[in-house]
Amino acid sequence: MSKNKTVLLYYYLFVNKASTYARKCSIHGKTDIYQNQFLVYFRVSYLFSLPDGTLSDVRNNKMAATRRLTKELGDIRKAAMPSFRDIKVDESNILNWQALLTPDQPPYNKGAFRIEINFPAEYPFKPPKITFKTKIYHPNIDEKGQVCLPIISPENWKPATKTDQVIQALVSLVNEPEPEHPLRGDIAEEYTKNKKLYLKSAEDYTKKYSEKRPSD
Amino acid sequence: MAEEKENFAYDPEVNYDEATLAQQKKIEQQIVTEQSLISERVDFSELEDEYAKDEVFQLKIKDLKSKYACMRKIRGDGNCFYRAFGFAYMEKLLSDPTEFKRFQAVARQSKDDLVALGFQQFTIEDFHDTFMEVIDKVEQNCSLEDLLQVFNDQVYSDYLVVYLRLLVSGYLQKEKDFFINFMEGGQSVKEFCNHEVEPMSKESDHIHIIALTSAIDVPVRIEYMDRGGDNVNAHDFPEGSSPKVTLIYRPGHYDILYTL
Repeated sequence: MSKNKTVLLYYYLFVNKASTYARKCSIHGKTDIYQNQFLVYFRVSYLFSLPDGTLSDVRNNKMAATRRLTKELGDIRKAAMPSFRDIKVDESNILNWQALLTPDQPPYNKGAFRIEINFPAEYPFKPPKITFKTKIYHPNIDEKGQVCLPIISPENWKPATKTDQVIQALVSLVNEPEPEHPLRGDIAEEYTKNKKLYLKSAEDYTKKYSEKRPSD
Repeated sequence: MAEEKENFAYDPEVNYDEATLAQQKKIEQQIVTEQSLISERVDFSELEDEYAKDEVFQLKIKDLKSKYACMRKIRGDGNCFYRAFGFAYMEKLLSDPTEFKRFQAVARQSKDDLVALGFQQFTIEDFHDTFMEVIDKVEQNCSLEDLLQVFNDQVYSDYLVVYLRLLVSGYLQKEKDFFINFMEGGQSVKEFCNHEVEPMSKESDHIHIIALTSAIDVPVRIEYMDRGGDNVNAHDFPEGSSPKVTLIYRPGHYDILYTL
């Protein structure tokens, strides 16, 4: 292993440990301890930074993303959004969220859809990506679960956009499809030309593939 | 011919968006390794080399050299106006305590103004806090090297760029009755802000410059190095002001200038 790789490895160990600690403490409301402990790790990891600045960029990126996502996740959990539930975030990686989407409009209101939100290390300067893990019959979501959501397109992404705004945009898109710019042309056509058939297909599909909605 | 056609055949298994993004990322990374976000002060020789074969620009660089001592080069990533303006102004503040006091008050107040305009408090706070952190550093009389280091730290620097973008967006929206006259293609001021101001890497034009200089009341001079005439053309925003910051504009790019 080259020297640089060793340094990187150490660095990641420290940052992971620091961010895990940060999460634990913020969950328990011990923000002061969290900050102090974070600073210690921050300083130690600084020792390993390389002179050319690349490493410090990586470090700071992940720190900025972690800091903001920790706050956002806390707020979203507190707000208990009716259509976004069962949020699961792996202790070791706050950049990956899993949750259940529970739309309130037919034909999707009989099921729950598991989605994954992946935040890049450059968050909030680059947008998150959303993928449907549960199959869904929808003009704007393709077979691979990719969704076309303007608010998180790399072209239009604004760093000041909050994740709860993204989730709200996603929920409204699921509830009210936009057949004008579809990812599934066939479904979009059915939606505009034969709404009744679309509703039936989507409902059947939901019954067949979606997960059970969590009881309140 | 047939072979060429085959090369361009659409392959449904390939995600072209991702391929484009990957290529874009590669280009971005190349720029990152070649040019720091903000350089040390340098003379105009690099500029002369860059336009070695361009007679018009050689004349203009000569004119530039008669008026200015040196420059700082800014990375070309679509944020150069904000970064150039931000750094040049903070550098100025290091040696201008009266102006610093004024600006500190404006900067402090700006968060509440943005929130009053309907921006999300949570995210505004995040960027504003970092912005104020840097202003605090200036207040504690940090060295020029420290300031340069802050602006060359990608994350720190981008946080500052975002906040300056938010100030521009806020000002445009506050004065939307005026700025609606400059919107093209029937878009609203809000739409313009959503597409051309708040996203990172969206380049700046006159309208952004007017908004930023008005929002924080910091006049700026821009020397335009374009195709017309033999000299660089100075333009002050607002007209008739005495500029605190001087930038040079070449098509698509801004750098910082320092007077003799």
